[in-house]
Amino acid sequence: MKTAQAGTLESMDCLVTASAAERGKGIFITMEGANIARFRDSILKTAKATLQELGIKDVVLSIQFNGANDVVLKARVEAAARTLMGGEE
Amino acid sequence: MMALRRTMLYLPGNNPNMLMRGHLFKPDGVILDLEDSVSLGEKEAARTLVRETLKNVDFGECEVTVRINGLDTPFWKRDLEEVIPWGIDGIRVPKVETPQDVKLLDEAISEIENKHNLPEGKVQITCLLETALGIWNAYHIATASKRVTAICPGGEDLRADLKTSRSENSEELVSPRRMVVLAAHAAKVDPLDTVFADITDDEGLRRETQWVKQIGYQGKSVIHPNQIPIIHDVFTPTEKEIAQAQKIVQAAKEAAEKGLGAVSVDGKMVDRPVVKRAEYVLQRAGLLEGGE
Repeated sequence: MKTAQAGTLESMDCLVTASAAERGKGIFITMEGANIARFRDSILKTAKATLQELGIKDVVLSIQFNGANDVVLKARVEAAARTLMGGEE
Repeated sequence: MMALRRTMLYLPGNNPNMLMRGHLFKPDGVILDLEDSVSLGEKEAARTLVRETLKNVDFGECEVTVRINGLDTPFWKRDLEEVIPWGIDGIRVPKVETPQDVKLLDEAISEIENKHNLPEGKVQITCLLETALGIWNAYHIATASKRVTAICPGGEDLRADLKTSRSENSEELVSPRRMVVLAAHAAKVDPLDTVFADITDDEGLRRETQWVKQIGYQGKSVIHPNQIPIIHDVFTPTEKEIAQAQKIVQAAKEAAEKGLGAVSVDGKMVDRPVVKRAEYVLQRAGLLEGGE
């Protein structure tokens, strides 16, 4: 399966792995990390909004969270998703 | 007021912790780095992170520049496109070798400024001269565009190009540093020194900073926050220097008001270059408007 990653497991960061999903399957997001329950809703909101901005409707995201703020999370989701879509490098 | 560039702190472009907190160490400037501190596989992630940081972080009084990837890579144009629209002060470009390199960069920046309805010419360029050819062409590079406001000699890349290696006192960089400082002042741009790589050697850093200041450098690139206070200490005028400079400037002012050409301070005649130097000390201390 085609995947792409962005980010690290360092503090204040997150590691986002984006995997291709079949057309029509929608967006599926899993996440793990310390205190993840506290941040789950906010992470989901940011990740979904970022994918929406990019026009991505079908993707699987795995987010390993280590204290990233919204700015970092958005950047990591975007970079992983863009790389997956093959637009870069 | 002249912009101080005593310390320009490099922040690795793929490190959120440093990108978002670097300015809190109060350097005069931050350099968000997309080049050497970012591996090839992380270029896209770093570029996106740097862009989002620029959009969302208030860097306060810090001058904000972005070091893009070299003009010989496939990355530099995308780097520019992502960062120029977000209000940066300047671009730091590695391995500049010719005036043509600067012109190419100048045109690319103008194109992006126009596309985003930004005032043309606002984004400055700092050129890193990291090869013998770049050092040799320093003056022509510094005068190739009005955007160029600073030039810096390289460190390790330059040593490699000179087919030498690091010595204890960086003897191998003496001539390049002198050539760059001369070219910079001739071109009326800031000469900024390269980094001091040993982050544990405070005394070595102080010695090197004192030397580059003595030969005319205006500041130094920084790779660790702990280096900032040492460099600021060296580049900031002491109270004694400030008091003496104030005395000289005041005496010169009074002499001018009386229509006198010569000025005497503490029994010594003071001529125009000394007054100019005193004014410069006060500018560095933030006590006098002006400067280049």
